[in-house]
Amino acid sequence: MSTLRPEDFRSNASEALRDDVLRGALRKATDLFGSQRGAAVAQMPAWEALRERASAIKAEALATLDVQLERFEERARANGIEVRWARDAAEASEQVAAIAARLGRPTIVKGKSMTTEEIRLNEHLEREGHQPVETDLGEWIVQLAGETPSHIIAPAIHKTKGQIGELFAERLGIPRTEDERELTRAARNALRESFATAELGVTGANFAVAETGSILLIENEGNIRLATSMPRVLVSIVGIEKVIPRLADLQVFLRLLPRSGTGQRLTSYQSLLSGPRAGPDDDGPEEMIVILLDNGRSTLLGDDELRESLACIRCGACLNSCPVYREIGGHAYGSVYAGPIGSVITPGLQGLEKTSDLPFASSLCGACRDVCPVKIDLPRLLSRLRAEAVEGVGASPGLGAPPPRRLERAAFALWSWLAADSGRWRLAIGAARLAQRVGLDSLAPPARAWRTGRELRPLAARSFRDLWRTNGEDRQ
Amino acid sequence: MSARDEILARIRAGLRGANAPPAVGSPAVGAPDGLDSPAERVAAFSRNLTAAGGHLRVVRGAEQAAIALGELVAQAGARTIALSDSPLVGRLSAQLDGPELIDATDRAGLLEADLGASGVQHAIAETGTLVLETRSERNRLVSLLPPRHVAVLHADDILATLGDALAAVDPGGTGAASRAVTFISGPSRTADIELVLVVGVHGPRELSVILIDPRHEPPTP
Repeated sequence: MSTLRPEDFRSNASEALRDDVLRGALRKATDLFGSQRGAAVAQMPAWEALRERASAIKAEALATLDVQLERFEERARANGIEVRWARDAAEASEQVAAIAARLGRPTIVKGKSMTTEEIRLNEHLEREGHQPVETDLGEWIVQLAGETPSHIIAPAIHKTKGQIGELFAERLGIPRTEDERELTRAARNALRESFATAELGVTGANFAVAETGSILLIENEGNIRLATSMPRVLVSIVGIEKVIPRLADLQVFLRLLPRSGTGQRLTSYQSLLSGPRAGPDDDGPEEMIVILLDNGRSTLLGDDELRESLACIRCGACLNSCPVYREIGGHAYGSVYAGPIGSVITPGLQGLEKTSDLPFASSLCGACRDVCPVKIDLPRLLSRLRAEAVEGVGASPGLGAPPPRRLERAAFALWSWLAADSGRWRLAIGAARLAQRVGLDSLAPPARAWRTGRELRPLAARSFRDLWRTNGEDRQ
Repeated sequence: MSARDEILARIRAGLRGANAPPAVGSPAVGAPDGLDSPAERVAAFSRNLTAAGGHLRVVRGAEQAAIALGELVAQAGARTIALSDSPLVGRLSAQLDGPELIDATDRAGLLEADLGASGVQHAIAETGTLVLETRSERNRLVSLLPPRHVAVLHADDILATLGDALAAVDPGGTGAASRAVTFISGPSRTADIELVLVVGVHGPRELSVILIDPRHEPPTP
């Protein structure tokens, strides 16, 4: 699998910027999702009140997370769900692999889940000799191509129908076509065989409800319904931050999430699952297992500022609105979580050591904060992480030590020294005027690098101070 | 320390000093008004179901419902029909002449069926949504595997809002709660290939609702 790394963000982004096909597809997708979202929000007069409410519910859930999780566990167990816990990616993947091993060599069908991407579950299962099959159309295309998803809700937006037609012709042996309907039908037929024989279903969840011990899964295709209804055993991997206190709270999120993601009033399907089949006369899995995953979340929770990022409901609206994401797409971030929220969560989950470029992948314009359905103050969190990246030491113990940005620190130290004294400042501006006359191309390499892609506005021939003095003299 | 205890300990350590007031008040923010009368609920449900890509046929009683089902089967040219174990669906399908009828327990048959018929426990006017509960009916695969789903709904079961539906399904209430509640708004759909909407990927490409509404006044010809 071709996996990009967050530490290579700069070169990944440069690469993406040279890919015209990718950029065309990104523009189309982000424009479409953005305008559909705008239209849906305009039809909901209570939008701001809904966001307030969602934000308050998430804040409550996170501030009482231990209580909510214990309650969820107790209720889920009472309904016959086996609840397990996993400290990290390896522990969660091993648990799924052990279940698969117990079932022999089962056909494994997967529902789209960012959490399973986060823990690289497929890689682990494949190493153990299993063959998990992604069943969301976009995820399946990406899996067949040996790639990774590039958008939270549209995993294959980076691929054209021509590329998909070629891929299907090669891998499924069907005649080459660029017709979306035919390609979709071919996928349905191929995946039906997997569903028909599947013994293990693996999914994530959008929400876990403490009050009832239920999980809720949201989708449009029906593959999650199949993956949760047909196999004998169902395993759902749920991040600990997904729990909400009450069933009634779901209406708030159901009014917000589809509108924010695709502009739909509601997606085609929501499945509220509260246990394995009740008896032999029932459909559904005989065994239902929920794995509650930490994998760095408790570290984020312990940070009074970054805790807010755990409220994310993965709608993708901040990606679509972000002027950086819109140009480079999801792969460049080198993490399953891309865009503004990814630039906070990825350093939060992995530490800043290898991810310290990500908080800089933003213009801090605030578009992400304006569209966020749970009102996460993303620019503030990005600024906070930037400060830490420049200081070179994680203020919170969990974030680790990023490589120090000595040049940036030095530049700001110099600036603050110059700006603190009017004599020094005048001298510096005078020097800058001189440099301007000589030509900016002669600047030293670091300044030249900063100039690439930025326009430095020329200094006026005379300063305001100078003009004031002259005009003042004229008046007298 | 077990993973469970360690994670809970980390959470408690992380939350030391943190507090957030509970989100008080009703979560029914943004719920639509004006759905108090059955007629208003029927009208809103019909509008929103159609907007979500579902088809609607309104009839006044079981007899007409059976005729409507027969017409839908004929229109689709369906030769095998999968039935849920709802008594109502059983009665309506008894009058079908021709197609092979398949039981909800016959998984191989379900995979081949041309049409699946089920009841509906509740519907939501706000969104045009059908709510299927497993405690009342074996409906999970019948409503999912065949390329067409016909759902039979009583007008009295149309609730106003999402919040009303969540209160009605109440999986936390008793031991007899539904293990799965499925909310359905229109056909299965995807836009994963170049954002072009394609209807009917993994689930039904056609959703038809037969609404039994004794108050329904057929338009005068």
